[in-house]
Amino acid sequence: MRLFLFAIGGTGSRVLKSLVMLSAAGVRPLDEDGKPVKDLEIVPVIIDPHKANEDLKRTESLLNDYRDIRKKLYGTDPNADGFFANRIVTLREIMSNSSVTLNDTFIFNLGAVENAKFREFIGFDTMNEANQALTSLLFANYQLENKMNIGFVGSPNIGSVALNEIKDSNEFKAFSNIFRQGDRIFFISSIFGGTGAAGFPIMVKNIRQASNLEGIENRDALSRAPIGGLTVLPYFTLEGNKHDQRIATSDFIVKTQSALYYYKNTLTGDNDSNVNCIYYLGDKVRSKPYLYDPGEHGQRNNAHLIELIGALAPFHFAGLPENKLLDPDGYPLPTTAYEYALAKDDLSLNFLSLGHHTRQLIYEPMCRFHMLFLFLSTGFKDIIGQGFTEDEPKIKSDILASQFYRTLTDQFMLSYAQWLTEMNDNMRSVALFKPGEIDMSRVIEGVSVKKALFGHKRVDNDVFKAEMNKLSKDSNNYGEHSVEYKLLDLFNRAAHKVFTERFENIN
Amino acid sequence: MKHIGFLITGIVLSLLFVISSYSYDYNLYYSLGYSAGYSNEMLNLQVYPVIAIITLIVAWGGAAIYYYAINSVKFDRWYHWLAVLAVVVVLAPVVCYVYNDAVFKDSNLAYTGEAIRFEFWTVIFAALFYVIASYSIRWWSSNCRHTPIPQ
Repeated sequence: MRLFLFAIGGTGSRVLKSLVMLSAAGVRPLDEDGKPVKDLEIVPVIIDPHKANEDLKRTESLLNDYRDIRKKLYGTDPNADGFFANRIVTLREIMSNSSVTLNDTFIFNLGAVENAKFREFIGFDTMNEANQALTSLLFANYQLENKMNIGFVGSPNIGSVALNEIKDSNEFKAFSNIFRQGDRIFFISSIFGGTGAAGFPIMVKNIRQASNLEGIENRDALSRAPIGGLTVLPYFTLEGNKHDQRIATSDFIVKTQSALYYYKNTLTGDNDSNVNCIYYLGDKVRSKPYLYDPGEHGQRNNAHLIELIGALAPFHFAGLPENKLLDPDGYPLPTTAYEYALAKDDLSLNFLSLGHHTRQLIYEPMCRFHMLFLFLSTGFKDIIGQGFTEDEPKIKSDILASQFYRTLTDQFMLSYAQWLTEMNDNMRSVALFKPGEIDMSRVIEGVSVKKALFGHKRVDNDVFKAEMNKLSKDSNNYGEHSVEYKLLDLFNRAAHKVFTERFENIN
Repeated sequence: MKHIGFLITGIVLSLLFVISSYSYDYNLYYSLGYSAGYSNEMLNLQVYPVIAIITLIVAWGGAAIYYYAINSVKFDRWYHWLAVLAVVVVLAPVVCYVYNDAVFKDSNLAYTGEAIRFEFWTVIFAALFYVIASYSIRWWSSNCRHTPIPQ
């Protein structure tokens, strides 16, 4: 099954970033029986005309790093287990024919939209006087003058016009060519801004009405596709709240209400089956104020709890059985709405603040990944040439200079550490791990190690090394794998054992 | 399979060593460390076999302790292995000398100088069999199987 994941606007990119982090940790969508969904490929497509958006750039870079790392570990196998388990691919990567030209990127090319002012895009100057007058009623002057390479600056009325171009793009054609029965579509967008609030309904409309579109293949499969969407309600605030700001925190609620009414009437009404599952997520406790930036300086918002929780929505959707999405004849069922609640209404959250289900899904994988982060940063270099590294295939010191290792440690892990720090510094503070703590036995916030005969059990690099030595001795199956796979798989298995035996069980 | 081969080779060499120490005609100790009077008494009192067994016990025991009792990631470097070797080459001659001295005292014999010089061979054999024992048993150690030289 392929899950086409359309991340729209800045929030889309940031949620996608969290999804990549969770995937790196080995969090996978689970089916009703609690088993990982088979043959899953995630195809993220970022839709944002604001190419200079720092959040978008960071997510794209992270996706590329993830893809490179995963390819080295598992090749094209979609059913991997462990770190970087989910296969994440670009549209280009899975295109079988070359009738459509496409760049190998996760970003939707919105060339026509990005390079023009809105007034040029709609041909304002060529309109007759009456139409110009009508257009001026619908759009403010600053909106008409808005150069769309900085996005729609909180104006969904611009986005709803501009993003209608998507259906004619090569990316949309490629997507429709690739889409098969059994695949699913998921949208991530915010409802209180411009790009996401407008992009979500337009994309859904174009998919459901695919039969009316020209040059599109698989129309039937597309129009009946299971569609889910994460609609992010207001959760952050912006610095200042001046009336002349084009994006103002004070407008978020009004914009949200208007958009929700619109969604109710067109997408998610009682008997509406345009969207099968809608996930609403927001927080009354607002983030620390972000720098007001309508786009000129490259919007860069700190990572936030909402994005982390939001990233679980596509996983939940991917794991739903087909009979909850389609009727027996294969037509989409009416909308089911999902919400999310924390187990504890804390301002500073750790794993214990999350509900049981979330904890079961992310606690151990995230902890294992964090241990890997610490192990690679503090202990790995010194043990090359000893123990498991000397078993075949041998892990030699040249791995430290390899592209794989540098991508993993210098780029991906660095982004990971930054992501954790940002979430920790934000409001609500997500303090899953103690910042700067390198003592593995104390690093998980709120979780302690089990008691031993004297004091507590040890958890350090030596414990992991000893477990990896043991596992490597008993494994003869690494001969056909790369050293990179061996390193991460051994660590993952060792970490599972260490967790089971040495940490208090909080699940 | 290769590892089993190493183990069997180690055991066979050790058995040959013990057998040789019993022998009158092909006694390794006698041929290597002959000293008039002393060597004949050692042979007649059957001290050589006991010394051989003590040497083997200390050498194999040292290796076993290193690979299976210590067996720690904190002690998996070549110099840790060498430290155990040092203990073995000190312990084996001391124990052997004490035994040798006790047997000779019981028989009212006085070969103190010869006995001390003889322990040079115990040092050599203890070191040799520590290496042999290490290569016989290290393969199944979880943390030290690549010490002192990686497989």
